[in-house]
Amino acid sequence: MPGVAFVAHCMLNQNSKTIGGARCPGIYSPLVKVLRESGWRIEQMPCPELTFTGLNRFWAVKEQYDTSAFRRHSRKIASAVVGAIEVHVREGRDVVLVGIEGSPTMGVCITSSDPTRAGLPEWADGHDELIPGEGIFFEELRSEMKARGIAEPRVIGIEHQLPGHDKRVENRRLQTFFSK
Amino acid sequence: MTLRDERSYRVALVADRYLNPAKGKLDAVPILLEAGWGAIQLPSDDYPSAVAGPLLEQVAEQVEEFHRRGYDAVVIGRREGLDEALEAAGVPHLDQIEPATARALQSFLSKRPTPAAKVSRRRTTTSRR
Repeated sequence: MPGVAFVAHCMLNQNSKTIGGARCPGIYSPLVKVLRESGWRIEQMPCPELTFTGLNRFWAVKEQYDTSAFRRHSRKIASAVVGAIEVHVREGRDVVLVGIEGSPTMGVCITSSDPTRAGLPEWADGHDELIPGEGIFFEELRSEMKARGIAEPRVIGIEHQLPGHDKRVENRRLQTFFSK
Repeated sequence: MTLRDERSYRVALVADRYLNPAKGKLDAVPILLEAGWGAIQLPSDDYPSAVAGPLLEQVAEQVEEFHRRGYDAVVIGRREGLDEALEAAGVPHLDQIEPATARALQSFLSKRPTPAAKVSRRRTTTSRR
């Protein structure tokens, strides 16, 4: 039965992306279309990067965000989001989380890592930084849910910023995930 | 990473009832998609204030960044506590519409000026060539 999908901020607002990362003008329709067709309610999570390093931020890897200040910032946002999740869980609704694969903060199964990245940005065009793992905000979200005794929801990551992204493959993944 | 950016520099704060509309009610999503606007969802009216308050604070902080950087920002619908949250974040009054019809919303969005951020980005890109 369809429930409530808590989606990464940029799924409804690509203007929040790091410059160079917006794949469409505003709403990312491939996800929203599947959610609507499957009868899921949409809930947008805040973007932790946008309110910490702003719109003119550089592309960054997980290590660059892994500071106590950013963790604190993420925990504050996670607390706000989990407060809303709790409302739906108490009503017996199915809750799922939708993150962004490759993101240092919103990654679900793939995040970005490079312990040496620092200083003047002049790294080469490539994707060596992608590694298996969760982004920082998702780690804090999971921690907050555990602290409140909320069972871990199912999660899925949108792959639109990964190299070799295939829209048809992603559409099938989304349809399968949201039909359960 | 290949840089290709399709952002619109336009952001609408959207009341939940227009993003998750009841059957037969006005749905803002297809209109925003067609017009190329991003959406920032306002908390559901069903949420208690203890839940909505922190979410509104996050909405306001995000809008402050968009506004400061010259993105266009408007409000579609209403949400109790939004004005106070925006004021606390230092965001000036935003143009707002309580659309009765899809056409009214389309018309409102189509009359918006070109966002300042889009103009300055275009200038920067041109001057680099």
